[in-house]
Amino acid sequence: MGWVGGAVAVAVLPILVRNTFFLHVAILVFMWTVLGAAWNVLGGFAGQVSFGHAALFGIGAYTTIILFLKGGLAPWWGIPLGGLVAALASVPIGLICFRLRGPYFSLATLAVAELAKLAALNWEWVTNGPIGFLITTLPSLTVLGRRVDWEAKTPFYVIAALLMAFAILSTAWLRQSRLGAYLVAIREDEDAAEAIGIDTVRAKVVTLGLSAFLAGLGGGFYAFYFRYVDPDAVLNIGLSMEMVFIAMVGGLGTVVGPLIGAIFLTTVGEAVREHFQVGHLIFYGLFMMIVIRFLPEGIWGKVRSVLPGMRAVRHGAP
Amino acid sequence: METFAQSLVSGLLMGSLYAMIGIGLTIIFGVMRIINLAHGEMVMLGMFAAFFSQKLLGIDPFLSVLLLTPAMFVLGVAIYWLLLRKIIPGGELNTLLYTAGMSLLVANVALLAWSGDYRTISLSYGLAPMRPLGIAIPAALAIAFAMAAAITVALWLFLSSTDTGRAIRATSQNREAAILMGIDVERVALFTFGLGTALAGAAGALLAPSLYLYPTVGELLVVKSFVIVVLGGLGSVPGAIAGGLLLGVVESLGAVYVSATYKDGLGYVLFLLVLLYRPTGLFGVGKS
Repeated sequence: MGWVGGAVAVAVLPILVRNTFFLHVAILVFMWTVLGAAWNVLGGFAGQVSFGHAALFGIGAYTTIILFLKGGLAPWWGIPLGGLVAALASVPIGLICFRLRGPYFSLATLAVAELAKLAALNWEWVTNGPIGFLITTLPSLTVLGRRVDWEAKTPFYVIAALLMAFAILSTAWLRQSRLGAYLVAIREDEDAAEAIGIDTVRAKVVTLGLSAFLAGLGGGFYAFYFRYVDPDAVLNIGLSMEMVFIAMVGGLGTVVGPLIGAIFLTTVGEAVREHFQVGHLIFYGLFMMIVIRFLPEGIWGKVRSVLPGMRAVRHGAP
Repeated sequence: METFAQSLVSGLLMGSLYAMIGIGLTIIFGVMRIINLAHGEMVMLGMFAAFFSQKLLGIDPFLSVLLLTPAMFVLGVAIYWLLLRKIIPGGELNTLLYTAGMSLLVANVALLAWSGDYRTISLSYGLAPMRPLGIAIPAALAIAFAMAAAITVALWLFLSSTDTGRAIRATSQNREAAILMGIDVERVALFTFGLGTALAGAAGALLAPSLYLYPTVGELLVVKSFVIVVLGGLGSVPGAIAGGLLLGVVESLGAVYVSATYKDGLGYVLFLLVLLYRPTGLFGVGKS
């Protein structure tokens, strides 16, 4: 029931609400849900804390915008390709970084992200260096006999909603899959998981691939929606942190946690941004500290354990 | 040859300050098993404290170290006592994420308060570089090096020959055994966090005349300090000194002989290689 209700609410929102600012916030919430889900797949389910997801996001964003500006490929094809390129790039990253465990893995991913940013700044013939890329006009597209108006928010809303649905459905699939069970085993005790015959490196690399695909989709959408990509915007270490925070605040290892986290942090962030230029990250940091201290299972994790009806059907609950 | 000597010397000078930051991080890790992602922000606070004490109170940045080191010690003690103490039992990934949140909070409060402008400290007594043997040494960096060396030696004496210092090293080597020997490890942890934070702050004040100051400088410095402590072996003080000097030299030689734009990248590559092939550090003394 909850699933249907949520889908209906997402579908009717742009019909009821015409305010551009609210639609913009909703688009951001959807985009951040995809990114939070990307991080959650690896960090929440498998317990591998990555501080380098900005690199995967950036690869997606650059792929989409470069394919469009240099190859003429429309962004709606470029977004999935961005996810694919990020997933491919994640394989060598995973094979290197997964040789390390716990905080060492986290530090290694941090170094990878810094290297990616450095590469984007200096590899000028591909990335245009610090200047980056700007999309001036999006190609025209006709859907059901009507030309899509790229100056309106609604088309972006629809695409972001589809991406979010894909992210949530893949997390839900992962949760009930054999791989999902492997990941929980790895999170709880990696040595024990290995001892019962789980190929832990393979499970982690495959999961990182899925995580990277989602992060790349988010990055591609970012390039498409904001029409602007440069190393500071898409390879900033702050982005990795925001993905961590969304997954953590919503509830690690839950399916709808990233959506809750994204709603919470994006609305707070946008409300604060109205008043201060840079203030939203202050609140991200603060909420992060409060959640770890007082609500380590996250908002959705807490709701799920408190609501009486949900406890009984825990295994089937979102 | 002269270029080589020149970059070697400036690398060592810079490295001495990196070493100080690294020592702070490594003793905190040794005693508490905390990887403090907010360590770079503590350095940033030290830099800004030096900047404002010169601008508002007219105190020389190098003298301000005397004032702000105790202040940073108190700040570290307060952070540990009020915030971190309750998080540590939750496991190392929780503390890692918690300090990540703290780092974001501090950096962005600073950004809001002081804006993202790049600031510099100008010393009243000129900056004519000293030139022993034809090698140019910036005066500010030379003074910073001398003070960093003095502080490091003092710290070394403290750790090796006082009771508190021995208690810190004992806790770092084996926490359970330290408890059995009657060491109050909770107090040791409190003191160590204060000490580590004070070292970061002091290093920040010494660096301030030689670097640009901006609120998010900690992001760059914290990654560098991880490189340092991983090179030297997490938890090892001599390792952090060697790692700091090594990173300073690698960056400085790399900027001259490889590429100035990729000099930061060299540090990261070195970091990944050491993490992969020598996770206990180049000298094999670190803890995993």
